[in-house]
Amino acid sequence: MKEEDFEIEFFPTRIAEIVAKHRIERDPDQPVMTDPDLADEIFQAGIELLLEVGFYCKDTKRIVKFTEEEIKEIVRTRKSEVTLGKGRDAITLKPRAPEDKQPPCIFAPAGLRSSKVELYKLFALTVAQEPTCDGLIPLPLTGIGNFKPASGTPSEMLLTLTEAQIMNEVAARAGRPGLFFGIPMSATTPLPLMTVFASGLYNKYNCCMPVQVLQDMRINHDRLNLAYFAQLHGIVPWISSCPVLYAYLTGPEQAAVEIIAHTLGTMAFSDGSFTQAMCCTVDSRYVGNDVWWCNSAAALAAERNLKVPWISFGSIGDLMRPLSDESWYATAAQSIVACISGMEGMWMVGGSTGLEARWGAEVARAAAGIKVNDGVAIIKQIAKKCEEPKPIKTPFEELYDPQSLTPTKKFLEHYKKFTKIFRELGLNYPTWD
Amino acid sequence: MYAVSDLRRVVAEVKTQEAEAMTKELLARGLDPVTILEEGIVQGLNDLGAKFEARKAFVPDLVKGSILARTCIPYIIEALPKGSMQKFSQKIVIGTMLSQHNIGKNLVRTFLSINGFDVIDIGEQNQPFDFYQKAEEVKADMIAVSVMFLPAREKFAELINILKQMEVRHKYRVIVGGAITTQKWAESVGADGWGAQAREAVDLAKKLLKIT
Repeated sequence: MKEEDFEIEFFPTRIAEIVAKHRIERDPDQPVMTDPDLADEIFQAGIELLLEVGFYCKDTKRIVKFTEEEIKEIVRTRKSEVTLGKGRDAITLKPRAPEDKQPPCIFAPAGLRSSKVELYKLFALTVAQEPTCDGLIPLPLTGIGNFKPASGTPSEMLLTLTEAQIMNEVAARAGRPGLFFGIPMSATTPLPLMTVFASGLYNKYNCCMPVQVLQDMRINHDRLNLAYFAQLHGIVPWISSCPVLYAYLTGPEQAAVEIIAHTLGTMAFSDGSFTQAMCCTVDSRYVGNDVWWCNSAAALAAERNLKVPWISFGSIGDLMRPLSDESWYATAAQSIVACISGMEGMWMVGGSTGLEARWGAEVARAAAGIKVNDGVAIIKQIAKKCEEPKPIKTPFEELYDPQSLTPTKKFLEHYKKFTKIFRELGLNYPTWD
Repeated sequence: MYAVSDLRRVVAEVKTQEAEAMTKELLARGLDPVTILEEGIVQGLNDLGAKFEARKAFVPDLVKGSILARTCIPYIIEALPKGSMQKFSQKIVIGTMLSQHNIGKNLVRTFLSINGFDVIDIGEQNQPFDFYQKAEEVKADMIAVSVMFLPAREKFAELINILKQMEVRHKYRVIVGGAITTQKWAESVGADGWGAQAREAVDLAKKLLKIT
């Protein structure tokens, strides 16, 4: 099948039919999907989508089909727990339900989108030293000083190895050498991904191999090769589904169904269980009723029917600004949605500093155990305050003392302002007092 | 009997067969081909773009719109008096950096094509080197890059760097656009031009390639 036929006829027609058949409809006023029956419908619709559409392989121009037996086997054999990291820094993601008192695990972005290696380390150190942070997700290095690598060349391998060296150094300097590092983020092609694991700097204890499905039910040989490499070396495959709302998908209902199909299909070829799922809009918005509805719907569907370690997104990505109110409201909203949807973890919590990560983590701890309706009520109150912040750059010195790596008075006041706001909204956490 | 406004409507509704039939009929009735093109096809595509912005149309509709344009435009070109249709010798290599998004890129490709440029579309998920390689292969005059998410912005800067390192930067005008780009950013990374809307690519290309 030509890819054009797949993307403009076959896939959109089938997903629209399946979503309509299962009567999956969103109430636009509800930011979080909390209906267990609808969650089960979404899960069944996801299975049907995978069965009827399969995965389009961009290299062979053929559709990879799945059988019902294969999918049942996948659902039956997934692991409900996963341990990431090593030694005393290892953490285990354990199953949690929407009102569970156990908080989700927190993986925070570390570093800075920059080629300034020393500055990158400083930002990463502020995150690694935070006790509430369960793992680091390296932000992509864009170069090494004045050296600007080119994709698909040995220089990209060097870049990725440098990222891994920095992560190990930062974790050791923070006294947490066994921390989990998410996935290699500076690599954009498969070879550096395999190289960095071959080096041992990233390994089966401290990092995952990204094997995620490509946009809207598509894979290629690269994905399969990476999954096979991960299996050979005992590396946890990073299953990720990030549908884009309003591009090929008409809305969050289709996206939630697609996340389930993506997840099950990727599990089939990678044998993984640990899953990251989130959506954003075609104009790169990571918050809002539509986005939260999709993320919570997919998470609840998985929580009830698949029971795997499931994590979602904890910030507004690169739009985060450390001193903006909007960013802090958005981080808090993501944490609350994760808690009341029964997610086991969140990744990229906060912006690029430790205090932002601490904020997201503390809100998650404060929100763990609250009633779903109470969480929804808070989300409704803050939803409009999560708008895109102004793109203001704040120098490191305004946020942290570069010598002691302690937050500045100005930054701490921002943090305290928000702890007060959220205490008044009904969330409490011991250190806020 | 159809009017050009009917053609505009069916283009916006992405009804390819009806648009094809209407285009043929309007031409057969002797209507000005340029009017059919600009007020029927192009305005209809603009309306489709507006529907996409309003989330009443989606990427598959845009791709179908592009196919519709490819179906109808040859009839219009055929109907033009010989030598009246602008056709430029300049070649433009176009593609999306890194991501699979092709919405903006396909619209720009359509606008450039119907305005007479020779457009070579290298598709989606390109690395910086792919743009350089194709531009060299086809002896292009311009490279147009669609940048849809942040890592791709960094890769665009990498493309400029590659062109400089290969000592070919002077051969190509490089333009960029996409959801997360701005004029200020484009200038800061060394692009020759930036456009907020797909249609702007035509004027930008004409200006940079010194076509009057």
